[in-house]
Amino acid sequence: MARTKSTKIFTYRMKKKLIVVFAFLIIAFIGLVARLMYIEDVNGDVYERVVLSQQAYDSSTIAYRRGDITDSKGTLLATSVDVYNLVLDAYVINSRDAYIDPSVTAVVECYGDELKESDIRDILQNKPNSRYNILIKRMSYENMRLLYDMMNDGEHPLVKGLWFEKEYIRVYPYGNLADGVIGFTKNDGSGMSGLESYYEDYLTGVNGRTFGYLNTDSDYERTTKPAIDGGTVVCTIDVNLQSIVEDKIHEFAEVYRNNYRDGAGAENIGVIIMNPKTGAVMAMADYPDFDLSNPRDLSAYYTDEEISAMDDDEMYDALNGIWKNYCISSTYEPGSTAKPFTVACGLDTGSLKGDEVYLCDGGQHVADYYIRCVNIYGHGMETLEGALMDSCNDALMQMADAIGISNFTTYQRLFGFGLRTNIDIPGEARTDSLVYTADNMKPIDLATNSFGQTFNTTMIQLITGFSSLINGGYMYQPYVVSEVVSPGGQLLMHKSPEVLKQTIARSTSDTLRGYLNKVTSGDGTGHYAKVPGYSMGGKTGTAQMIPRDGINYLVSFIGYLPADDPELVIYCVVDRPNAADQPHSTFAQNIVREILEEALPYLGVYPDEEIPGDDYDPESTNMLTGVAIFSEHAVEVQQTYSASKLITPVAEDTPTEDDTVGDTGDTDELDIDEESAGGSERIEGIPEETAGGDAEAEEDE
Amino acid sequence: MVSELKKRQIKYFDYTLLFLVIFLLCFGLVMLYSVSTYDGQVTYGDAAYYLKKQLVYEVVGFLAMLFISFLNHRLFKKFAKLFYGISLILCLLVFTPLGTTHHESRRWLKIGGFEFQPSELLKIAVVLMLAAVISDMPKKVQKFKYVVVLAVMFVLVPTLVVFVSNASTAIIIAIIGFSVIFVANKWYLPFVALLGAGVGAGYLFLQFFAYRMERIEVWKNPEAYDKGYQTMQGLYAIGSGGLFGKGLGNSMQKLGNIPEVQNDMVFAVVCEELGIFGAVCVILLFVLLLWRCMVVAMNAGSLFGSLTVTGIMVHIALQVLLNIAVVTNTIPNTGVTLPFFSYGGTSTMLILAEIGIVLSVSRNIKVDPGAGYEE
Repeated sequence: MARTKSTKIFTYRMKKKLIVVFAFLIIAFIGLVARLMYIEDVNGDVYERVVLSQQAYDSSTIAYRRGDITDSKGTLLATSVDVYNLVLDAYVINSRDAYIDPSVTAVVECYGDELKESDIRDILQNKPNSRYNILIKRMSYENMRLLYDMMNDGEHPLVKGLWFEKEYIRVYPYGNLADGVIGFTKNDGSGMSGLESYYEDYLTGVNGRTFGYLNTDSDYERTTKPAIDGGTVVCTIDVNLQSIVEDKIHEFAEVYRNNYRDGAGAENIGVIIMNPKTGAVMAMADYPDFDLSNPRDLSAYYTDEEISAMDDDEMYDALNGIWKNYCISSTYEPGSTAKPFTVACGLDTGSLKGDEVYLCDGGQHVADYYIRCVNIYGHGMETLEGALMDSCNDALMQMADAIGISNFTTYQRLFGFGLRTNIDIPGEARTDSLVYTADNMKPIDLATNSFGQTFNTTMIQLITGFSSLINGGYMYQPYVVSEVVSPGGQLLMHKSPEVLKQTIARSTSDTLRGYLNKVTSGDGTGHYAKVPGYSMGGKTGTAQMIPRDGINYLVSFIGYLPADDPELVIYCVVDRPNAADQPHSTFAQNIVREILEEALPYLGVYPDEEIPGDDYDPESTNMLTGVAIFSEHAVEVQQTYSASKLITPVAEDTPTEDDTVGDTGDTDELDIDEESAGGSERIEGIPEETAGGDAEAEEDE
Repeated sequence: MVSELKKRQIKYFDYTLLFLVIFLLCFGLVMLYSVSTYDGQVTYGDAAYYLKKQLVYEVVGFLAMLFISFLNHRLFKKFAKLFYGISLILCLLVFTPLGTTHHESRRWLKIGGFEFQPSELLKIAVVLMLAAVISDMPKKVQKFKYVVVLAVMFVLVPTLVVFVSNASTAIIIAIIGFSVIFVANKWYLPFVALLGAGVGAGYLFLQFFAYRMERIEVWKNPEAYDKGYQTMQGLYAIGSGGLFGKGLGNSMQKLGNIPEVQNDMVFAVVCEELGIFGAVCVILLFVLLLWRCMVVAMNAGSLFGSLTVTGIMVHIALQVLLNIAVVTNTIPNTGVTLPFFSYGGTSTMLILAEIGIVLSVSRNIKVDPGAGYEE
């Protein structure tokens, strides 16, 4: 028993062996420590660098916010709103099975109506390592918060691999308003047309960035370089004024839609309102227009069948048709609105003294052509003032003859014809090849130029030049942007009114204004445009278009007020009004009057004349009157639309024979009579001789 | 007289060991927290995710350790055979449909929703079984034939059972068995020869047969293989630590670079954050722990106790050695956890249970002034 006991203890020999085992273990540990030191000693520096280089210095871009475009009073015309893309990182979700179901369920729960569960699972299965899959594009902040809040409420720790990418989209709060001026942006956010394009450099900012780096202690740090947002572009446009103008244009376009031919109320309508004392554009509108938020939508002008039938080129043409800003991009023969320029040229050069009297006998022989006046029976004796009031072509041709080609072409350049105004909107048409020079102008060209045919201009050119005729001779640089302000309130750009040149002497300007004031008086051709109670001046225009078949006309009116010290110039062009009988500037005059009637009280301009008494019949001057007088068809139209509250019925005031005759006399002119002595063939040749060839060509840059 | 003698005896308890364990547990938790915050934050949205779970495992394991330390160690001897039999059967069950596979290895057993590695149990079972058998017949162990039978039955068989699925655990079992039998008998030379034969066989294996084994290739040239990524990242961490490291919590490699850093690679981050100095300190703590085990083994009142503690000491030492060897790419990559530092429920609780056995044995030490080694 004792022996057994003695062997059942841990003997001395065993203890020795245990120490041997222990010693072996210690040796092994020492070996490992040596191994550690070896690694550190041999590869320490290299490994340290590897570790540093492995750090994820990931950087991510922070999108800048594109600057706003505001009107002169700070109303937002174009702004950027933040939206969020939901991005799926399949790699992260697939890294653990436990993530898949909670993550998919969370997305479906929040955005089930926008995407299907199967779509997400497809991505997770078919592209398991993809890290950037946009599930939902451009959702609003409120929508984004649905999932964002869920992921951050602490109750959904297994919802992974989903993140939001911030982006900005362009929003145009006023839809179509000032479409031609503001322009729109491409999908990538850069400006495509209008101010969006012209002021691209100011509107774009600089993307920010967050990134990680190692500081001098080799500690990892993250830094954010914030994005620099774009500047705010402040226009000289006034939203309310612009709205009034566009409302009237649309009203006209709707009233005359399908009136005589199928289609819009006019091929084009353009209106510019400018401050003649600064060159600032207060309103600029054209028709057809487009929705800035949806610039590729043609449905307002074409049926679905027509759109689907278009090929790429046709589609492009159609889009350009609505995208172009008629006020600056289209050229046309101005017609009689050019007559004040001819008279101004004559007075300023001394070729005309002001006391001339011309005999209008219904036409004039120039070279081999016989060019007829608007009144084929002749206006009789015409003073300068009378010639403008009656818009007498015969008298103007005689004046031009007195002025001579050299003076005439010099002054045309001086007034800006043939030269771009360089207004700060892209796409201004070139007209340098569409006017005559002293070298290639022939007497017949001088004669037709004198009353605004056979040379082309743009609306902005004409209104800029015209402003100088009535403001004392100062030609201002036209502009639509007054300043650009940085997000921090710094002034990045400021535009002051800039006088470019003196076109005519102040005295000439005063004299001419006196003549033009009479045009809108009771017996002038422009009296339809006059707003009762306000002193005004202006000039009508009715230009025959090519082909000169007497069907298509471009009618216009340019006016200003107050008569003695103009604060406002307004120019309206109606290209081919949708009426059987086009050549009546009343189309344009009515639009101008309707605009001014609403705009003047808004602008705080007070009547400066006595308002006509009982003999003033406002109904005779409503928008449709002009048409009703000239077109039986339009009378029907007018009755159809008489429900419209802005259009006063004229049932009690049916036009009489006398009115018709009288108004015919007041309207502008017909110009070149094909049946006249010169022979029709040679007269048809005239347009082909115009310097620009096809004078109807509209240049879009 | 006898009862008086017993009253005179001082109750012994190895407090040094207990406090070493407590210190290692706390140090391990601090390091685990440092290592796992990133992964916990990224994966579970909670930086302390791993810390909390590990804390639960350790508290449970610590209570179990205290409970076991109060048991009479002879109880373990009684249940050694049963425990060994059950462990062996469980290890065989891995090959049935009850077994589950992770990381391409079939090592786990899933019973009633609870998943564990039965081979972990087998390590303790082999220690207890060998100690029990040898202490029952210490004379026979001095006979060569008997030693061979013992080695085959209780070392070779479990080693082979485990080897199929888990080579590193098989090696641990083999070395534990080898050590316990070595300590228990009188010979040196046969063991030296066996050791030499093992090393020679290993060398030949590497030289002529292992070239096709991917794991060996990755070990030789970890930079060239995708599977060497974890190893290389661990080495980068060790190398970049320097003498005193980057400071606690300042590891860069734990930030997603070392895969599953909280499991087997904690020691690499210890090196990175605390440097060679910290690593040596950790190793010294383990050496102290082993030393206390050795002291307990030497003074244990019974042969069973001594041999059990010897086996446990070797087991703990091997866990630490193999883990550090893997981290330093001294041996091919095998999944061996670092006791007290690595994240994991089963391994933590089993290690603490083993310490409990050592403490239980230490209670049996009789401090008798002037007394020899007899009872």
